[in-house]
Amino acid sequence: MRIVNPGFGLTPAGAEQATEGKVDWLNDPIVLFGNSKPNARELLEGVKAKLAGIRRTDNIEFIAKNSASQGAPLEMINDAAKKYRIALLALGD
Amino acid sequence: MSDSADSEILDIADLDQEAWQDYAIEQGWSDGLPLVMPTEASVARMVAAAHGDNEGFAPISPRQVVPTMASLAANAVMAGAKPAYFPTILAGLRGILDPSYNLHGSMATTHSCAPMVMINGPLRQALGVNCSSNCFGQGWRANASIGRAIQLILLNVGGGKPGVMDRSTQGSPAKYAFCFGENEEECPWLPFHVRRGFAPEDSVVTVMSGEAPHNINDHGSTSAEGLMTTFAHTIAQPGANTVYGKGPYMVVVGPEHAATFHRDGWGVDKLRDELWLRARIPLKHISEENLATYAATGHHPTGDFLTICRGPDDIHIAMAGGPGKHSAFIPSFGGTAVVSTRVKLPSAGG
Repeated sequence: MRIVNPGFGLTPAGAEQATEGKVDWLNDPIVLFGNSKPNARELLEGVKAKLAGIRRTDNIEFIAKNSASQGAPLEMINDAAKKYRIALLALGD
Repeated sequence: MSDSADSEILDIADLDQEAWQDYAIEQGWSDGLPLVMPTEASVARMVAAAHGDNEGFAPISPRQVVPTMASLAANAVMAGAKPAYFPTILAGLRGILDPSYNLHGSMATTHSCAPMVMINGPLRQALGVNCSSNCFGQGWRANASIGRAIQLILLNVGGGKPGVMDRSTQGSPAKYAFCFGENEEECPWLPFHVRRGFAPEDSVVTVMSGEAPHNINDHGSTSAEGLMTTFAHTIAQPGANTVYGKGPYMVVVGPEHAATFHRDGWGVDKLRDELWLRARIPLKHISEENLATYAATGHHPTGDFLTICRGPDDIHIAMAGGPGKHSAFIPSFGGTAVVSTRVKLPSAGG
């Protein structure tokens, strides 16, 4: 029997993932991207402390979107993409 | 564009009803209730009901894929919707996909929000949408299956799997289906959609990312002033999301309360202005820790109070329900909007 797939969808044009270059996890700059939820900064501070045990931390920086419920502005994402090679996101509360 | 999930048509083994339900649940397609099988024929009948609707759809969060008319129709079939409901379902979805609704945020949040769907205009009667007694509850196929179809679309096309990309801490019964009509026939004020600039003969779907309705019981007050005291203090809740994520809310006034407001000369603007001034949370009702958290994120008190919205324009008044001294408050997620979309009726040949 044939049915219509209720999960079917099309990937929008231009949504391909960038795969340019390799990431150097020990030396590349990292942005710790906060979601503005309570305790997001504390979570990311903990991540930075853990990273300190395995890599340099002088090029690890924090930014945060200005609303917990709204997406980060595109300009903020583009700026972060230009400046950093790795982004770690705070998803918790 | 490229296909992101298998194919639009699936060739599966012949299944009886029981085996089909098991199969659908294994695929992750179910909200927990039995589903109608989306056969090619039943989906084609659903799609035909939207004949002439050639407007595209934005990608659906969180999965960010663009639906096809057939995949949307498959979810409507599974929800138990009649083909005649499909244009209304599509209008509701278009409202949800408006950027101001903030679908991604409302799906990913730990809050219990669900798409509130309110229908105005002549289609309410034509489709049998309940606007009167028990309008938020069970018993009407249109309310149940229109609301459910939208939820299934968000689950199956949007990928809002509970506990995975739908991160709600506790969820809500409103996540099964939350659809009702405004009781325009008994409403003393202009219908909601007309106040928003639509024609009375338009059929319009209004959506908001909201909580399930909170009851406002007032059997004793026989004046608008008395009712407002109850309304304002019921709405001013320190646990509301909008204490710090300011946004809209809905008040669905029951017909008996609406009649009292109207008799005393209170129109919609007066109700909104009074709620803005009075539905505020005294600081003594809020913990010191929460006040510090709110202040740290830029949400400061107004005098001795915290507001739960940004002004009267955030307060949306509708009228629904049957006999009785009850009304309802529907808080929003906060970072959302109340979006109204006109239903596109099928063109000839559909």
